[in-house]
Amino acid sequence: MIECRSLSARHGSFQLTDVSFTVPTGQYGVVIGPAGSGKTTLLETIAGIVPAVSGSLRMHGRDVTSIAPEARGLGLVYQHAFLFPHLSVAANIAYGATSAEVSEAVARRFGADALTNRPVRALSGGERQLVALARAFARRPPVILLDEPFSALDPRRRLHVRREVRALHREWELTTLQVTHDFTEAGLLGDVAVLLDGGRALQSGAPDEVFRRPASPYIAEFLGAENVLAGTVRVLEDRAPNWMAGDSLPVAQEHRAIEFTAGPLTLYTVGDFPAGDGHAVIRAEEIVLSLEAPSGSARNRFLGVVSELATLGALTRVTVDVDGVPLVASLTTRSAKELSLMVGLRVTASFKAMAVHLC
Amino acid sequence: MSAGAEPLTTVQSSRSAHRVLAVFAALASSLLLLFLAVPIGKLIGAGGVAGVRQLASDAELRGALALTTVTATAATLLGVLGGTPLAYLLARRDFRGRAVVSAVLDLPLLIPHPVAGIALLLLLGRESALGGALLSAGLRVVGTPLGIVAAMLFVAAPLFISGAREAFARVNPRYEAVARTLGDPPLRAFLRITLPLSQRGLIASAVVMWARAVSEFGAIVVLTYNPKVASVLSYDRFTSFGLREALPVAAVLAVLALIPLTALRTLRGADDGAPQ
Repeated sequence: MIECRSLSARHGSFQLTDVSFTVPTGQYGVVIGPAGSGKTTLLETIAGIVPAVSGSLRMHGRDVTSIAPEARGLGLVYQHAFLFPHLSVAANIAYGATSAEVSEAVARRFGADALTNRPVRALSGGERQLVALARAFARRPPVILLDEPFSALDPRRRLHVRREVRALHREWELTTLQVTHDFTEAGLLGDVAVLLDGGRALQSGAPDEVFRRPASPYIAEFLGAENVLAGTVRVLEDRAPNWMAGDSLPVAQEHRAIEFTAGPLTLYTVGDFPAGDGHAVIRAEEIVLSLEAPSGSARNRFLGVVSELATLGALTRVTVDVDGVPLVASLTTRSAKELSLMVGLRVTASFKAMAVHLC
Repeated sequence: MSAGAEPLTTVQSSRSAHRVLAVFAALASSLLLLFLAVPIGKLIGAGGVAGVRQLASDAELRGALALTTVTATAATLLGVLGGTPLAYLLARRDFRGRAVVSAVLDLPLLIPHPVAGIALLLLLGRESALGGALLSAGLRVVGTPLGIVAAMLFVAAPLFISGAREAFARVNPRYEAVARTLGDPPLRAFLRITLPLSQRGLIASAVVMWARAVSEFGAIVVLTYNPKVASVLSYDRFTSFGLREALPVAAVLAVLALIPLTALRTLRGADDGAPQ
């Protein structure tokens, strides 16, 4: 387990402030954030290379805040590998290995065994990354910290190495924390996602939760949410509709009906959000397009005109202009063809009240 | 002529100005290079062969050269021993008073060397507390090889520390960080990673320090005139017997300077292109 509690650290002029999150034992954490948000400094603070100024850090139940890096029981892989250039590839992998057998087995799994006879200086960036991964895993530490470990790999090799890392993580019951820029990777690998910006953890939780329920419009936009609308929240009712006689049951707060007005659009949603200014986030894949008014249960329906079509392989991104407000929908290219979508076509964009997240 | 293009006369005058500047720069550089190289070349040419021949017959010259070599080597060893941790500290740690330490290290390079000799005399002379204590312990510094080593160490150690600091700074601290996460305590990570990665720079710095110690005169002459090191001997021969007698000794010293020069060139050549 990695448990950061109000962790603060200083690295040069950069400040990591009050970072709190937990990656339970055996789980895979991903740290996402823009460049310069402090992702590497966070890993270095957890590794003990950058000393914590305040807060606490626990690993597997042990307080390691003031413990030296070599006694923390972790492995660290930097984005730029940092292989020791004066040692051979084999010596690099064996540097902290628990045994020769483990170092050979790990090298084989990452495909680094074919590189052992080559000097470090002759390796490509991707090959260096393989050796760096093998070197860190060969120590079999209970905690592994990875700083964009797949960034130098070509797509085919990335797939293989990512699978191996995930497999070793599972087989050896490691607790892993990986920095990534790739949201797909974060969604694929992560059990826990930590969103970092300006040295602060803005949000942490299950990746799906972070992606679907971002804590702020900034996070929503950073995570690639296509529809982030600024507007006004009005709480329609404090209680659920009284569809049965009696009407005495208390209603949970998260089930309040809410009306959200963004310019000419009025959306309906349910949840717990105070009246006043706010933002509505609707992910593009939640929006359904149809040529006629849909007869389903979707609470939000808007008539608009297709203003832009962008096909990316099997997916098509469609922008629908609804009274001057662009709504972006993502649908399969096959669906887009079946609907004969084209710029200027009138369509209905609909989505359920539950697809609207307020922040 | 298209809009925005410079008039032809402006382009031509700019080219002429560049040409004049280039000719001036080449001339100034060549003159300076000649000024640096010709005296040494003339010295070796005029006295080199005689000096090497004289080595066989002149016991005082051989003794002075041996003394110079031994004392410079001893001073360099002391400088490396004490200067390496200090250079590492200055390269890696941000501590209170670092600027003061750096300034103190620059001072011996900036003050005139006879002044350095006088300062050392004040510290190590028999009248001083330290000098008196050393004397009572049977260690006489002034007027002995120990004084020569002290003078050499004082004037040349800052060169080693400055070079070693640069050599350590060139090694990315993340190499050491990785070694720490792989189980190395700080000293082990330093010995296994940082030291091998900075060794060329450290050796080059030690060579520079040794060469500087060999060529020292001002501080040594104040602290220990006798026994004579080579630089003092060449000065002594010049003042006592004139240029003719001093020439072979001076030429041998100039030839000797080629040894560290060659070592430095070899180290720098090997260092080129080595990723740190």
